[in-house]
Amino acid sequence: MIGSILASGLAVGAVYALIGVTYNTMFSASRVISFTAGMLGMLGGVFGSLFILRLGLPVPVGFVLTMGCCALVGVITEFVAVRPVLKSLDQHLYVLSTLALSLMIQQLVATEWSTEPQRFPRLFDIGSGLLDEKFWLPIVACAVGMGALDLLYRHTLVGKAFLAIAEDNFAARALGLPERNLRIASYALAAIIGAFAGFAGGELLLAFVANGALLNFYGFVPVALGGLGSNRGAVVAGLALGIYQQAANFVVGGIFASVAVFAIFIILLLAAPQGLFGAPAVRRV
Amino acid sequence: MAVPRRQFIASGAAAVTAAATLSFPRPAVAQSEPIRIGWLAAMTGASSAPAIGFDRGVQYAASMINAAGGVKGRKIEVLTRDTQGDPTKAVNATQEMISQLKVHAIWGPTNSGESLAVTPIMARSNMPNIHPCVVTSLIDTKKYPNAFRTAPSLGQWDAAVRGYCLNILKTKKIAVIGDTTGFGATAANFSVDAFKKDGADVVYAANIDYNQPDMTPDMVRARDAGAQVIVVWSTSTGMDARLFNTRGAMKWDVPFVGHSSMSSGDVANLIDKREYWNKVYVIGYRSCSFDAAGKLPPRSQQFVDSIKGKVTLSDNLLWWVAGGVDAVNLVAKAVEITGSSASADIIKYWNSLNKFPGYFGDYTFSPDQHNGYPTDDVVMSEASSAKDGAFSLAPGYKA
Repeated sequence: MIGSILASGLAVGAVYALIGVTYNTMFSASRVISFTAGMLGMLGGVFGSLFILRLGLPVPVGFVLTMGCCALVGVITEFVAVRPVLKSLDQHLYVLSTLALSLMIQQLVATEWSTEPQRFPRLFDIGSGLLDEKFWLPIVACAVGMGALDLLYRHTLVGKAFLAIAEDNFAARALGLPERNLRIASYALAAIIGAFAGFAGGELLLAFVANGALLNFYGFVPVALGGLGSNRGAVVAGLALGIYQQAANFVVGGIFASVAVFAIFIILLLAAPQGLFGAPAVRRV
Repeated sequence: MAVPRRQFIASGAAAVTAAATLSFPRPAVAQSEPIRIGWLAAMTGASSAPAIGFDRGVQYAASMINAAGGVKGRKIEVLTRDTQGDPTKAVNATQEMISQLKVHAIWGPTNSGESLAVTPIMARSNMPNIHPCVVTSLIDTKKYPNAFRTAPSLGQWDAAVRGYCLNILKTKKIAVIGDTTGFGATAANFSVDAFKKDGADVVYAANIDYNQPDMTPDMVRARDAGAQVIVVWSTSTGMDARLFNTRGAMKWDVPFVGHSSMSSGDVANLIDKREYWNKVYVIGYRSCSFDAAGKLPPRSQQFVDSIKGKVTLSDNLLWWVAGGVDAVNLVAKAVEITGSSASADIIKYWNSLNKFPGYFGDYTFSPDQHNGYPTDDVVMSEASSAKDGAFSLAPGYKA
């Protein structure tokens, strides 16, 4: 039982964590919580299955095409659902615009792909039982993704520019940084992270349109628990959420497992409203 | 004798009315107009597969009747509206069929959610209605004397599943798993109560989110509780396949019995190994089941032979196509026998049916019973045995 809780819980938790990072990446660039994050995770699985299984392309080609298509969806999100509402952030219109786009994506996938879950290909065909790749692949993907993001942010000029607009949009623009282009690039990057989560977790979650709504919600929980904007918090909270959820499935089972997740979510937020790793926003004046 | 003017006019009017009623033939237009059948079909959307299958039968039956000259010279006109599985669209389409298209009978909808929305509307207009939806409350001869069911009710499905578990598999310790949808929760609760009433020991009962990626927790709990059979009430093929894969990984040979979604072709694509689909028994129908020799019942075989090359069965279920044919035939026969397409006459005819020989089943209705499908013909099939829309009988049945 412990093995199953750890294997399955960490795997699902890693996907939640990466979706949380997707939320954070989009938020950092625009101060918008985009509810397309879960849809990007779903698209990672659907495009992966489409390119590799249905169209028969090699795995590396399918992976690159999946990332490319999702990056395009990220860019479209910025143009269609984010940019028009940036001027009135305080009215929170982005909730409507990103949710609307999210629903459009979901409907399109349901119509053009399938409403039933479809198989996702075996990527490496390594391991069985609790060591099956469907369990460890999302965990490895989470580690690789976080490592790559760390490298990008700390050791590249573009990464530092991302951090600059995340830190202070106006100051970054005043310094001559192409804020608009960087925001578009951030949305593409966020989309790639979300798609990477869906692709790596495809064998576990399948290529299924309903994953979009599921990941939208369970991917947001680590953001809220870990602190909005904190990738490290999202990863810790995401992994903890996965283990907790799987343990609840074993201990109480069924719909009560979801109740247990919501209960702990509410209790933690009451105890630490800014999230476990978040800090109240402070601005030097 | 002088006749007052007022009395003369009244007498004349009465005579004209009597003559019109007693001796004049009905207007020619009523006898030659087409028989309009409204067809509420979810042809697109998430639950479109059954309607597409039913539609093949509907169109086939209408074309065959019309090619043979129609019903006493009256052609069958099928007026289809795509409801997309949306109750709101079904309501609009029903209103249109009743008030504008002036249909004589309505076939459908084909899912319970839509049917719950439109059944009261049809009842208000006394519109003859046949549908294949399972929810028990859709048939009520007092509230909806116009509504007739030509497929099993949820109770009949459950009786078949329960009978197979208790009488054929001889299992006494039952696990019942439903998904968290309205159907899954309702069906699972119904099933648990009925098993308990029959003296079975329900050792595990749960509702699972159909999107749960790992079914190990519930399968372990069911095994530890001593379950000898797992009854599944879900329309989610993903959940079904995950249950089978988990059972395979656990090397547990417990049988699954339950909803026909477990036989869907989508399951075949999602299971890790083909043998994980063995010992899975789903709700089926005697008319659409192969016996041990691989043969369909004679009437069904005759039907399959007659539609060969005209109706595709390979990507559909035989009972859907046969059910569509039966629906049109039931309306046509009512008009043929009564000579009328009036609502009251069609309903009166259906209420008199005793083992009406359809291709899907022999339907029996009475003024007090509108569940027309014979319970004994609901059987269990081997989930992985699909061939041209029909399945092999599950082991244990007599041919």
